[in-house]
Amino acid sequence: MTAGENPFGDLLQDYIVECLPLAEQVGDAFVELERSWRSDEPGDDLLTTVKGRLHTIKGNSAMMGIAPARDVAHALEDACGFLGRAPDARTADAAALLVAGGGLLVELVGGASPELDPAPATAFVERVRVYLTAAPGAATTGSDRRQTERRGPRSDEGGAAGNTVRIDFRRLDAMLEVLGEGLIQHSSLVELYRRLLRKVGAGVELEELDQTVLSLQKTLTRLESTLMEARLLPVSTVLGRFPRLVRDVAHAEGKKVRLEVSGGETALDKAVLDRLGEPLLHLVSNAVAHGLEHPEERTRAGKPAEGHIRLRAASVSGRVTIRVSDDGRGLDVEAIRAKAESLGLDVRNADDAQLHHLVFVSGLSTAERVTTLSGRGLGLDVAANVIHALGGTIEVESRKGQGTAFTLSLPVTLAIVRSLIVEVDRERYAVPLSHVAETVRAEPEAIRQINNQGVTQWRGDLIHVADAGAVLGTPESSRGLRPFYVVMTAGAKRRGLLVDRLIGHQDIVVKGLDPALGRPTVVSGTTILGDGRVACILDVVRILDGAAHVN
Amino acid sequence: MPESFLVIDDSKLLHQMYRLIFSQGDLAGSTVHYAANGREGYAMLAAHPELTLVLLDLNMPEMNGLEVLARRQAEHLYPHVPVALVTTEGSEEDEARGRAVGAWDYLRKPFQPSDIQALVRRARELRRSRGAA
Amino acid sequence: MSTDARAVAEPLLGFADSLPAAAAGTAAPAAMLHLLTFTLDREEFGIPVTQVREVIRVDGITRVPQVPAHVRGVTNLRGRILAVVEIRTRLGLTPAVVTPSSRIVVVELMGRALGLLVDRVSQVTKVPVDSVAPPPEEVVTAETDFLTGVARWNSRLIMLLDLDKVLLLNA
Repeated sequence: MTAGENPFGDLLQDYIVECLPLAEQVGDAFVELERSWRSDEPGDDLLTTVKGRLHTIKGNSAMMGIAPARDVAHALEDACGFLGRAPDARTADAAALLVAGGGLLVELVGGASPELDPAPATAFVERVRVYLTAAPGAATTGSDRRQTERRGPRSDEGGAAGNTVRIDFRRLDAMLEVLGEGLIQHSSLVELYRRLLRKVGAGVELEELDQTVLSLQKTLTRLESTLMEARLLPVSTVLGRFPRLVRDVAHAEGKKVRLEVSGGETALDKAVLDRLGEPLLHLVSNAVAHGLEHPEERTRAGKPAEGHIRLRAASVSGRVTIRVSDDGRGLDVEAIRAKAESLGLDVRNADDAQLHHLVFVSGLSTAERVTTLSGRGLGLDVAANVIHALGGTIEVESRKGQGTAFTLSLPVTLAIVRSLIVEVDRERYAVPLSHVAETVRAEPEAIRQINNQGVTQWRGDLIHVADAGAVLGTPESSRGLRPFYVVMTAGAKRRGLLVDRLIGHQDIVVKGLDPALGRPTVVSGTTILGDGRVACILDVVRILDGAAHVN
Repeated sequence: MPESFLVIDDSKLLHQMYRLIFSQGDLAGSTVHYAANGREGYAMLAAHPELTLVLLDLNMPEMNGLEVLARRQAEHLYPHVPVALVTTEGSEEDEARGRAVGAWDYLRKPFQPSDIQALVRRARELRRSRGAA
Repeated sequence: MSTDARAVAEPLLGFADSLPAAAAGTAAPAAMLHLLTFTLDREEFGIPVTQVREVIRVDGITRVPQVPAHVRGVTNLRGRILAVVEIRTRLGLTPAVVTPSSRIVVVELMGRALGLLVDRVSQVTKVPVDSVAPPPEEVVTAETDFLTGVARWNSRLIMLLDLDKVLLLNA
């Protein structure tokens, strides 16, 4: 059909009348599927029905020449087709994709016209294409997959009843502003209370007022946390499009590339995420275009013809780090030196590391060609600027002939870590779930003492078990054996930590450590729990580092 | 000569599109019957042996286009009436299966009025060559 | 002084202004020091109101392992984590026992907020500048290192803390 006049133009209203209810049914069905999959119900029938509706919408939209609706319906049809054949792929992420598409489809059909803006549809179709190319498992590592697999019911899950609401991000900001005012007013209230207290003296009503004002503060703080969390999105939102990007750039550059993405579930504030896309895009395209050698050159160098690029996100000690690394040719130190000198910089005594850092300086790109696919000109200085503006840092390591790695560190006090909350001597601590293998009820007979250390059998291995009170130096250590132990893991190391109570799983907002606290080694950050109390986050890696192994 | 056609499609929108198409050019003045599902369509076909062409949508709930064709073939209902299977892109498999159960031709969405007109012309040719009255 | 501190100080100052004038009809004092006073054991201490951001009740202080001496822990200040200093031990006293009258005085130093755990907070007091004397030598305690002076006023002995010295806890 040509882009010219559509012969059925007069039937636009009839199109909407017929297809909008269908689109809405599709949207509702996707929301229902999201709920089903969360409860481990496959929802095959619903998938089939939805596919049929999508097919009709696709055909009708095609007839009417409304390409965006046709394309989105087509993409959703493909996605449903895939999900119909692959029950294992029916994850929360997949459902979220469908729900987003359903919403978009309703908008497109409802607002159908020849002048419909194709951009949202194009973007969504792209998302689905990326999803379908990544879905068979090529782009996720094992641990990442575990995070996105179907989980049991989560106590704090947003769409618990299958109800999601689309909200303009700016509304959230507005809400936070109003909340800020509320907090200031709360302060005034506290002050007024105190003045009243001095004027009038203590009394029952004043006592009640005091309690109410205190409760108000707790409420406001909780509200603030909730709103802050609503702004959080998983990094995969941005990382999701990279498999496709890498394939495109590799193709254009004549390179063979394998991309590995992990840590997609790490959450970041949307405002940060929105601006992170560009610099990351830049780094990744650079890696493919300039970092990796052509297959022949690689083979000559004894490397596999296929270049390897890794995109890794992690939440560490209150910051989110994203690492982009390649096994390519590494930074050309001599070229940097030459370029720097040509710009008048004195680099006679600079060592390799210092020269590496110069790549972030404007004008120092030694790349011969501009990578057109990233849309921008030369220079990692652009990427570095954005990251600095976000309050983050960017570092580079490189070895000639072996590869380059860029590490972004974002000072995100809004980083969220799914954690296990435990109680030790009436204090609560958070243990990041990524470092928890299992929680076990401690049986006195199962734990023996060897060389003054507790030792027990766990899944066929012998592991050390330590008292949390001892590890954390709590003032009063309990006399007997604490009733539970948490098996903590970091890399290949395992250790049991005896605790008093297992409180539950929680998504916690990581806050950094105040400098006044010095540099504790067993604790990596703090967080505020639902009841307003502060809990320390255990630095499992450090704790396990300091532990001896059982042989 | 007044011609008659049959449209079997579950979409009201498509009905209106066909209406539009059959009101133009040399198709104007012809009679068009509309059925909204496979069963209704089959009954209408049985009632009208004089049809020049049947336009049969593939994707319909309950009884789809292939099932209508299969039943017609099994019951030997008016094999001389040409039936065109209307499909959407990506249904090559279905088109082949359609031919196997007696579809005379197929039409892919999105189509234009000219596509229908061409189809009708070929259907008329078929009729003439068979010497039907 | 940050806007926050000022915002809190104003009402406090206003309140202080409304207090009945000093007794014994003396000559009008030339310059006044506005102090926030608090008690540790039975001794009274004061810090300039300008350094005080706010005073809050104690709503749980979470212990943090491996912190420097005199850091009692952290507490939640409207969603922000505030480190709380055990000022008693810093001044050579025994650790505080938290009671309903305990308070955390939030001070601001070099742009950072810190909390001081105290037994009881008194009113904002205005003392004439000339009522302040250097720490007397006969009061020999570890505390004198941390004082900028002592104010005798209205039969009260208020020890003026040098917050910078007190809070110079770690590198």
